[in-house]
Amino acid sequence: MAQVLAMILAGGRVGELDVLTFFRPKSVLPYGGLYRVIDFPMSNLMHSDIENVGILSQYRPFELISHIANGEPWDMTGRQRRAAILPPFQGRGSSDWYKGTADAVYQNIDFIRLNNPEIVIVLSGDHIYRMDYRKLIEFHMEKKADLTVAFTRVSPQEGSSRFGLASMEDEDSRGGRVTEYKEKPKNSNLEWASLTIYVFKTELLIAALKDNAMNSSHEFGKDIIPALLKKHRVYGYKHAGYWGYTRTIEEYYRTSMDILGYKPKVDIRSWELRTNMANDSIRDRKPAFVGASATIEDSFFYSGCSIEGTVRHSILFPGASVEKGAIVEDSILFFDSIVRANARVTRTIADSACTVSAHSDIGDPGDTLTVIGMDTVVPENIRIAGGVMVHPKLKAGVFTKTGYTAGEVVQ
Amino acid sequence: MKGLAAILLAGGVGSRLNILVRHRAKPAVPFGGIYRIIDFTLSNIGNSSMTSVAVLTQYKPLSLMDHIGDGSSWDMSGRSRSVKIFPPKTGEEDWDWYKGTADAVRQNISFVNSVKSDEIMILSGDHVYHMDYRDMVSFHRKKGARVTIATIPVAWEETHQFGTAIIDDNNRIVEWEEKPPKAKSNLASMGIYVFDRQYLISLLMESKEDDFGHHIIPRALEEKVVYAYPFDGYWRDVGTIQAYWDANMDILNPSSGISPGSWRIMTNINAGGPPYDRPPISVAGRAHIERSIVSPGCTIEGRVENSVLSPGVVVKAGASVRNSIIMHDCIIEEGAQLERAIVDKEVFVGAHTTIGIGDPNVANTDHPKHLYSGLTVIGKQTIIPDRITIGTNCIIDPMLDACIFPKEVQSGTSVICSKP
Repeated sequence: MAQVLAMILAGGRVGELDVLTFFRPKSVLPYGGLYRVIDFPMSNLMHSDIENVGILSQYRPFELISHIANGEPWDMTGRQRRAAILPPFQGRGSSDWYKGTADAVYQNIDFIRLNNPEIVIVLSGDHIYRMDYRKLIEFHMEKKADLTVAFTRVSPQEGSSRFGLASMEDEDSRGGRVTEYKEKPKNSNLEWASLTIYVFKTELLIAALKDNAMNSSHEFGKDIIPALLKKHRVYGYKHAGYWGYTRTIEEYYRTSMDILGYKPKVDIRSWELRTNMANDSIRDRKPAFVGASATIEDSFFYSGCSIEGTVRHSILFPGASVEKGAIVEDSILFFDSIVRANARVTRTIADSACTVSAHSDIGDPGDTLTVIGMDTVVPENIRIAGGVMVHPKLKAGVFTKTGYTAGEVVQ
Repeated sequence: MKGLAAILLAGGVGSRLNILVRHRAKPAVPFGGIYRIIDFTLSNIGNSSMTSVAVLTQYKPLSLMDHIGDGSSWDMSGRSRSVKIFPPKTGEEDWDWYKGTADAVRQNISFVNSVKSDEIMILSGDHVYHMDYRDMVSFHRKKGARVTIATIPVAWEETHQFGTAIIDDNNRIVEWEEKPPKAKSNLASMGIYVFDRQYLISLLMESKEDDFGHHIIPRALEEKVVYAYPFDGYWRDVGTIQAYWDANMDILNPSSGISPGSWRIMTNINAGGPPYDRPPISVAGRAHIERSIVSPGCTIEGRVENSVLSPGVVVKAGASVRNSIIMHDCIIEEGAQLERAIVDKEVFVGAHTTIGIGDPNVANTDHPKHLYSGLTVIGKQTIIPDRITIGTNCIIDPMLDACIFPKEVQSGTSVICSKP
């Protein structure tokens, strides 16, 4: 296979994820009862034998840095292998904060040249999917493409104004030449949505980035792809498997719940994922304990969990605990969150190390989610309705009312 | 305790564990879901901030060596910390298997010479307990001892299995009995020693005696320099199938005193497992789990009660697992029922097969001292067919094919590999 370098865009924070990204970039958002979102591209790379990765990060990178460590969890250490975190830096010229996805890669052209790959694959760190990039690269080589973009089919209503949308020629079952591309069009009947997975010939990428740096918007989707479409061989590769977004709280929740159920959309057990077991001391946790009075249905949990109450259709990360008489339904509890005796948690995402004290009742079975930020303690006998946003690191004393209704923000 | 070194004797055969030690040494026997027995000692070493450990192996060391790896799982790797594995090796004179505990240490005297600490600890990898060895070394120094032995009171009827100590008011051991038929004291040695390093070297070099309990300790006793360090926490020699099952079941009982989580017991979760990380535990809508330990990678669709499940166990719909220990990657098919079973790794239990149901008092005819209380043990990688019954106190050999099984394996009998 060609010499390949991967660049993962992992730095961003998105406003729509609100309290979940106050202290972490979206790429290290916990997912699936054990993993972080970036484990998906990292595990895909590992299974695709791509062993050189640059990870572009600028927003609150501490959790990302400690998660990626030296790349060892994905076997990316050794003389020819590396996972390098590339923060923004000040150079002699005008280097600065990354102004956009293309600018982030542009500012690391030196890193690309140092690795001297034939091909650069640019990935996002915020999608849930499984892909063998070797097949994508094989397609790219076979078609003698300058740029290949991976797409998934969406209905035009679903795709409009959210994705980069394209149409492509029907060359073979894997994809064909891209004939039209529009970034987040208002109304469109294009049905192939960009997965923001780009395979570039290295020299073309560098040339395109240099051109783009003169312009103003510095994004791959908005500028670079439309510009290249005119003069170069741009191909579309059809991805047929699962594709999950985590860009809004609703999307993140839906994508998370796709791992549950009989014959789940995401059969995560078969995906052979790796994560950093040293992070959050996952590997030193005792096995999960299920008490005599517990009821667990249609749920995922991990070592360090202690369940004495009822857990239904929920996902519990390492160290989460549900005490006697407590009920957790349709919810996600991050690392070390505690639901005390006789409390109730419904359709809620509780970030790491939250405590819901005894007899409190959080969330509603309706559709609006409730989110509790990390390290917050909800005191006893509080009623928090669906659709309330509770900020991180709040002490019990901040809760001056006994009830909060939809749309309120506790801070 | 920085600089402190230890020798861990991990050669034990543990033959009373029967088929559980057919392919591995006793310290490597899985325990408590994700651990192996040796993890307790290795974690105590790591948690006591010790620097350097020599693990002496002899009997079937492969899974043990794989498990120990570079020691990083117990934070025993780095510039100044290490775990070294010492298998028996050819000496200057002849091929030397370790003849006993003292002989094993003597054959590795170069390790004892190479470390710099004033004291050295001799430990065994056979026991389940939590101890901060720093406290024991402080005791040793305070008493001005040259040898200190950790001791615990045991039931009088068990004293014949141990070295027992008679102590004075100052905790000095005045009399020592090694595995006495009728003991004068029920204060038993836990197989944990602190030696002044130079004193140990001189004891071992002055003689050719093989065993600490039988030879070395009695000799040191004469010099009035041996003290008993009193321990009263949870400690089990899980050397019999009954004791092994009891100790596993203790983890399910919060008041039993065993607590791997709060003891910070560490393990090597990767050794021997799949090349990816085990996924979270998946529980189906119609599953029922109570009072059990469940490890990563398990998929539970049926009933699990009062049991300890290692990673990767699948319990299919309609199956029931009660009062059992199920090791890594076993598959319990639909409608199968297991009661008081100890099932070694990668066993397949066919649909609607029942195991361990019957009269618990029919002891195993081949090994009446190993299996007598109703437990049934299934060996590693055996395939048990659909719709058969296996009674109580049965021993089912490892790696058996489904075709070897009769329709009914009666209580107290064994199914043994007929091939040589």
